[in-house]
Amino acid sequence: MGVAILVGFGIVYTTLTYARPYTYQGSLIEPPVPAPDFELVDQHRQPFRLSEHKDKVILIFFGYSHCPDVCPVTLTDFKKIKAQLGDQSEDVAFLLITTDPERDTPEQLMNYLKNFDPEFVGLTDERSLMEPVWQDYGVYQAKVESDDPDNYLVDHSARTYIIDKNGNLRLTYLFGTGSEVIAKDVAYMLKEN
Amino acid sequence: MTPKQAIRLGFRRFVTLLLISSALVWLVSEAAFQLQKDENDRAPQVYELVIPFGTAAEVSAGQKVPEIPEEMVFVVGDMLVVRNEDVSDHQLGPLWIPAGASASLLMEKAERTAYSCSFQNTKYLGLLVQESTTIGTRFAALALAAPATAMFLFVYSLIIWPLNPREKDKKTVSTSTGEIGADL
Repeated sequence: MGVAILVGFGIVYTTLTYARPYTYQGSLIEPPVPAPDFELVDQHRQPFRLSEHKDKVILIFFGYSHCPDVCPVTLTDFKKIKAQLGDQSEDVAFLLITTDPERDTPEQLMNYLKNFDPEFVGLTDERSLMEPVWQDYGVYQAKVESDDPDNYLVDHSARTYIIDKNGNLRLTYLFGTGSEVIAKDVAYMLKEN
Repeated sequence: MTPKQAIRLGFRRFVTLLLISSALVWLVSEAAFQLQKDENDRAPQVYELVIPFGTAAEVSAGQKVPEIPEEMVFVVGDMLVVRNEDVSDHQLGPLWIPAGASASLLMEKAERTAYSCSFQNTKYLGLLVQESTTIGTRFAALALAAPATAMFLFVYSLIIWPLNPREKDKKTVSTSTGEIGADL
């Protein structure tokens, strides 16, 4: 009888755990709002308009190639997310939008992204064209004063955004969120779409 | 007593002691919980924070915005939903809250954080997330403690009351032995 009780507890616990509806681990935006559109230049010097990529779930991170910490960590996480998604990653685009347009030329972004995944998209343009994009996505960016004009840091926000296949902004993540958490959410979003 | 019989008797005794241990551990842990619990020992909940219309204009004008505690206390598993009724987009740390929408923040681990916040005059909002004692953690404690207690009592019982078949079982054993002997 004791064994039967223990098995019963196990069955109830398992049922309660796995029967729950899926809950996104990221910060869910409700109702979903259309992602602000933009057109920038990618690392191949080709124009990239966000609204022309509605067939994919899009992960966006704002950073820069000379970043010593947050950006390489996030791009490494992007790489892990892509690996965890497997074949599903064909329906996902990973974007790095620069917060340092003066140094991040398309060539610079191409060389930088090769360190992670050449299929990641790096976007840049003139500062005057970048500023509205930063503003639309609530991105903070500021150059840190330095004696060397070519060697400076850029403070910037470190949020990751996810846009669904309908072009809606759906989720945001804090820097440091585990890649497996984001991969799980993206996989569910692909299934949902 | 045959080894098979010893195993059967031992198993029966262990299961009985496991049930007794579970009851004892539950009683003791519940008593301790009732004596020590505080307001944060509760199941996770959803909290909603509303950013009223006109907040961005008031903040940029340096005016006082509706009072929000500078530090909010949550337990792990709580969800903070921030609803933006303002005409401007707002942000709270990882949350980007477009105008007219809401965004949620799940408190995943116990920590104290200060997030930059666009709807506070101080520009920061502190969040304290604490571990809570929930029914789940209480069951986990029971699951950990009861088998260990049962094993302890079982070993102790073997010293005090060694495994012995009951009279009825003894008769069965001797009878069957006799039958085996007769057959031989």
